[in-house]
Amino acid sequence: MGLEAIAEHNGWSIALLGICIVFTGLAVLSFSISRLHKLLNLWDNRHGAIRRIRKGFVSSRNQGPRIMVERSAESLEETVRQYHMLVGTLTDPFALPDLLNLAKKRGLYHPYSTVNDLIKRGYIQPDQKGFFYWKQQTLTKK
Amino acid sequence: MPVDINLLKTIPIFEDICKINLHKLASIIYPVKVSEEEVLTRRGNTATSFYIVTSGNFMVFFKGGRSFTLHSRGDVIGWSSFLTPFRYKGSSVALTDGEVLCIPAQKLLRLIQENSELASKLIQKINHVIQNRLPLANGQPVKDEAAPHTA
Repeated sequence: MGLEAIAEHNGWSIALLGICIVFTGLAVLSFSISRLHKLLNLWDNRHGAIRRIRKGFVSSRNQGPRIMVERSAESLEETVRQYHMLVGTLTDPFALPDLLNLAKKRGLYHPYSTVNDLIKRGYIQPDQKGFFYWKQQTLTKK
Repeated sequence: MPVDINLLKTIPIFEDICKINLHKLASIIYPVKVSEEEVLTRRGNTATSFYIVTSGNFMVFFKGGRSFTLHSRGDVIGWSSFLTPFRYKGSSVALTDGEVLCIPAQKLLRLIQENSELASKLIQKINHVIQNRLPLANGQPVKDEAAPHTA
């Protein structure tokens, strides 16, 4: 009869498959709708997100030790020598942005954090008038 | 994401502020991570934000090459947000990776206008910073006892 005909022509399988497809579609649709608010938030804040992603790529590309003494390529003495040479080409006292620009042009490693290290170690000192001067320190070997 | 009020209590500029006002401040302040060489302010741009250093090292520089560096927690950047014409007098850049607290200038000014107690305490602290840094920004000699990086 009718039910036998259905079974004979794989009707039950087709019906089951149809049910699965419909319910899968409904599940995907309801999940999408439940996440729609996040998508809208992302769209609203897309500029900040793009900036964060770019910063992430730049940071991962430039990763490396930031402390002078841990750099494998340069020793502290070599870094001090390099920056002392750069300072020698500038006026005395010199403008710190000028030293940074010069270091960048020469392709020196992480010039900003290096200059910060030199300031903290006392090699570069402020004159309290907005400019800086070089003060050679005695390197102590541990 | 608003900042934790317990963090604000450790910042010198907020040390005299009562708990209620700290909560109001915490609702408008948010932390921002910065990377080495990242620029926070550019000279001449509209002063839209005021920054307080929580970690890291920064350099603020002005026309003519004058500059100073900030290394301490609680140091401020962007005091031009409080002075007309509300344009940054100097540019600031991160010397190392760090974190700052960002305060949108308009929201802070609105808060100050609504709260005279908060206004008087904050402006008193900011005035001290402005007095120390304004000579540098204007290219004038700085008195020896004035430390530009005093927060």
